[in-house]
Amino acid sequence: MASSSSSSAARDLQKDLEAKANDLSKIQKDISKNHQVRKKYTIQLGENELVLKELDLLNEDANVYKLIGPVLVKQDLAEANANVKKRIEYISAELKRLDSTVQDLEEKQNSKKEAIFKLQQRIQSLQAGKAKA
Amino acid sequence: MSNPVKGTVTSLSSLYSPEDAQKASIRVQETITEHQKNIQQLQTFLNENNTLINLVKKLPDKLNHDIMVPFGKAAFFPGKLIHTNEFMVLLGEGYYADRTSKQTVEILKRRGKDLESQIENLNGIIKDLKFEASFFDETATEAAEGIVEIREDYVEETPNEDKATTAGEDDFARILSRMEELEKEELENEELESEVAEEGEDLDTADLSHLMSRTSFETEVKSSEVEAKNEHSTSQISLRNDTQQDPKDSPAFPVSKDSYVKVPTLSGSEAPPRLVEHNKSKNSLPPTPVSKNEVSTLASSSSNDRSNASAIAPVSKEVSNHGSSSTNDSSKAFTGSIVERTHNIENNQKGQTPAPASKPVSRFKMQRR
Repeated sequence: MASSSSSSAARDLQKDLEAKANDLSKIQKDISKNHQVRKKYTIQLGENELVLKELDLLNEDANVYKLIGPVLVKQDLAEANANVKKRIEYISAELKRLDSTVQDLEEKQNSKKEAIFKLQQRIQSLQAGKAKA
Repeated sequence: MSNPVKGTVTSLSSLYSPEDAQKASIRVQETITEHQKNIQQLQTFLNENNTLINLVKKLPDKLNHDIMVPFGKAAFFPGKLIHTNEFMVLLGEGYYADRTSKQTVEILKRRGKDLESQIENLNGIIKDLKFEASFFDETATEAAEGIVEIREDYVEETPNEDKATTAGEDDFARILSRMEELEKEELENEELESEVAEEGEDLDTADLSHLMSRTSFETEVKSSEVEAKNEHSTSQISLRNDTQQDPKDSPAFPVSKDSYVKVPTLSGSEAPPRLVEHNKSKNSLPPTPVSKNEVSTLASSSSNDRSNASAIAPVSKEVSNHGSSSTNDSSKAFTGSIVERTHNIENNQKGQTPAPASKPVSRFKMQRR
């Protein structure tokens, strides 16, 4: 009786552990995805800042075009400038958001890791007790 | 060792297993190669950019160029490039701008600079990473070799020693600051003193010999003023010679033992102007009676200072002794700067620490005896 109950408890723990491990791997995937997105955004931010610099250096009467799909659309310099600035703002905000989510995820990851560690310890102690008995 | 065990010995391999260290170093190496790839890519961009700059510079040389125009993926047809000074430059993010050749080249150059700075950054990162990797490698080899780490608690000795060292440092700092203060005071005193002395000495050393020397050497004083100015630049050896010669030719030699040549410790450079002043005061001003006490207190305080500020003062003093005595020359020294002060100094020497700074003085006295 006792042994069967203990084995069933061990099995429960094992199941718990597996579920937690799955969660952890999911979180880690999310984090890596987040990192990739972040990288993309940082690159875009750099490019946008370059564009803004060049636009600032252009004369007032310079012709500026924007490639939309297959066609070049003529744009006002001021308009283009404002667009780029808006884009930079957006990307910065997005980067901040991503940072916060990454932080959240990392916290979750750490707590999950701890939980898994505790579970492993419990399983080990259980097995040790079994070996004694 | 009867003492309880102070330290622990742990083998380095138990702290960092060699495999782990190796793994870490390998990981760092991987990131290094990644960065190097990035650098290579940036370098190719840079090269392309440079060739593009050259092309853009060359294009407006001709009004039109005969070219083969790509048509689809495989076909070309002959064509002509016209408007060779008009460029549509991609600024990034789908923005284009109409530019001339020159303007385009400027844009491209800016881009090149950006690329260069990026490459530099990456190179710096790689340098750091390489250092890290070498560190990991070292730990790995050390762990493999079985090097042990010995740790000893430093608790027992720390409190005392810490106190001692800090106290010592505090003391030292305090002494230094005190010394600085004293030196300042000394300088001020000396200034005061010399002024007082110039006036007071007429009182103090109003003995016959002094009068004699004054009368007989007043002419020489003027000439030696000029000499003194020259002598400032000469070496100390020559100055020393002067001092040694001084007592011989000075008729003021038989001045009472107790009086000694008052040596202004101010740098010699200040001596000539003072001398002039000094002579003037002697010639024009009647000797103003200045209380002897004042002089003596000043002198004593200055000698106190000297004893306290021993470390720095003696050196400068010795130098200035020679310098000043030479600048004053024997005659000057005895016409003007004789101050009765020895009793103070002797008191000081008896009552307080033997002033190291008084050494030059005593030597001087000995010479004169």
